Amino acid sequence: MSHARSARGEREELRRHLAVDSDWPRADGRSFHDCRPAFMQTGPTTAASGSAYAEFGKTKVIVSVFGPRESKKAMMYSDTGRLNCNVSYTTFATAIRGQGVDNKEYSAMLHKALEGAVMLHTFPKTTVDVFALVLESGGSDLPIIISCASLALADAGIMMYDLVTSVSVSCFGKNIIIDPTSDEEAWQDGSLMVAYMPSRKEITQLTLTGEWSDGKITNAVELCMDACSKLCDILRERLKDPSSLASE
Amino acid sequence: MAAETEATGGLAGEMEVEAYRRLFPLAFLERHLRESVRPDARRPAEARPTTVALGAVSSAHGSALVRLGDTAMLASIKLELTSPPSEAPDEGSVVVEFHMPPICSPLVRPGRPAEVAPVITKVLEDILMSSRMLNLKELCLINEKASWLAYLDVYCLNADGSLFDAALISAVAAFTHLQIPLVSVGDDGRVFTVGRNEGKIKCEFVNREKRKLKLDNIPFSLTCALHKDSVLADPTAEEESIIETSVTIVLDSSDHIVSIQKPGGAVASMATIKECISLAKDRRRKLREILMDSVEAMEVDQTD
Repeated sequence: MSHARSARGEREELRRHLAVDSDWPRADGRSFHDCRPAFMQTGPTTAASGSAYAEFGKTKVIVSVFGPRESKKAMMYSDTGRLNCNVSYTTFATAIRGQGVDNKEYSAMLHKALEGAVMLHTFPKTTVDVFALVLESGGSDLPIIISCASLALADAGIMMYDLVTSVSVSCFGKNIIIDPTSDEEAWQDGSLMVAYMPSRKEITQLTLTGEWSDGKITNAVELCMDACSKLCDILRERLKDPSSLASE
Repeated sequence: MAAETEATGGLAGEMEVEAYRRLFPLAFLERHLRESVRPDARRPAEARPTTVALGAVSSAHGSALVRLGDTAMLASIKLELTSPPSEAPDEGSVVVEFHMPPICSPLVRPGRPAEVAPVITKVLEDILMSSRMLNLKELCLINEKASWLAYLDVYCLNADGSLFDAALISAVAAFTHLQIPLVSVGDDGRVFTVGRNEGKIKCEFVNREKRKLKLDNIPFSLTCALHKDSVLADPTAEEESIIETSVTIVLDSSDHIVSIQKPGGAVASMATIKECISLAKDRRRKLREILMDSVEAMEVDQTD
């Protein structure tokens, strides 16, 4: 197929630009250290105790928080509360239908990212359920789910030490690219994700995959923490005045 | 029963409204109905405000987001190329699925799907097929060789009653929005779709004229909750949990009845069902207008 071959050639070309050039505009026109405009809103699901919707470019996520409510019957007695997280995708979220409808890996990662921020001792014997549904996957899914979940937890009035926001970067050759799209994620050499509590300056989760050098890791973590703080300001604005539409 | 109403009547004066609503939901509803008004300030025969937004999912070939009061439904259609079934070589096929993810209601937990979801899936599929809204022959590209398999997935994003009505509106709206991709046949006889960016490539398209489905007969439904002598159109989740029974009426474009469902519960007289049918007729006209408006709104957006 001639056009399939040309598409692959084009992709190689783009990939080379991202890896070698100093600041080549990306496919969506951003520069390397620009995040996509963030649109966040509280309260899409009235049936839940708290909920939030997040839209970063093509990535669209809804998170609902239920509880604190009775733990499952089979659960052992516990002095502290439980946090139960689940991430699922719609069948049309990805290019090929029905890939990873129930994402166990992301469910566990979401739990780990939020666990350190939620004051579990404030709801003993009960469970808070955090359910995320990815309506459309457009890259950086997990960091967006984490930020959206912390907004939903705050909307539900669950006690937290601080809001958790999360941002990821992709590594291409000598360059670091923030808030990658799914295409960029597919071609990256390595990736790094930070979940961060900006007011306390504490990291709740850090994952790193692929090829990285020491200096670049420090750079990338600082870049993420900076973007997390900015994102957190948007979240705070949302919580203070839910009617104004904050986007950056 | 009478004793309870009296006792709660006495208590009501001293209780906060929200506590009364939770402790005595039935008495709360009946006190409203005596005044011909509902807890959310609607008249008994009034449906909730409804909005339709077409093209909510960019990765799908057709999609629609419908809000019916607080109930929200997202429907999406994805087309895949297959070969037609051997028993009907000139037809495509449609697979319908209704999902209730755990985000939509406190009653649904992950790994334990809601009981009503498969029921709504089945009814939705039956209605779409039997109302003759879809002509499956339109989904065929080349006789005996290539046809479309359309996956219709409806997601409930927020469950607040009348789920079937909202699901049907979103499914119909998604089919209205459906844009069929261009298809070409390669030199080797293989059939493939042509993406938006590759339109410049010179090739013969099989379906240049057939990019939209002809929907002659569009079905719409109205669910009415029946409680004693009252008929409550478009009930909320709170009303559904209290009332005795409900009737769902599905009408097509010429007001012919496609289906009537009354799933058990208390008995209903023929007069009541006739009243529901006349409410459904008014509702169908209203919904048709809302759908037409959303199609126009989308076309205006595209020309800007």
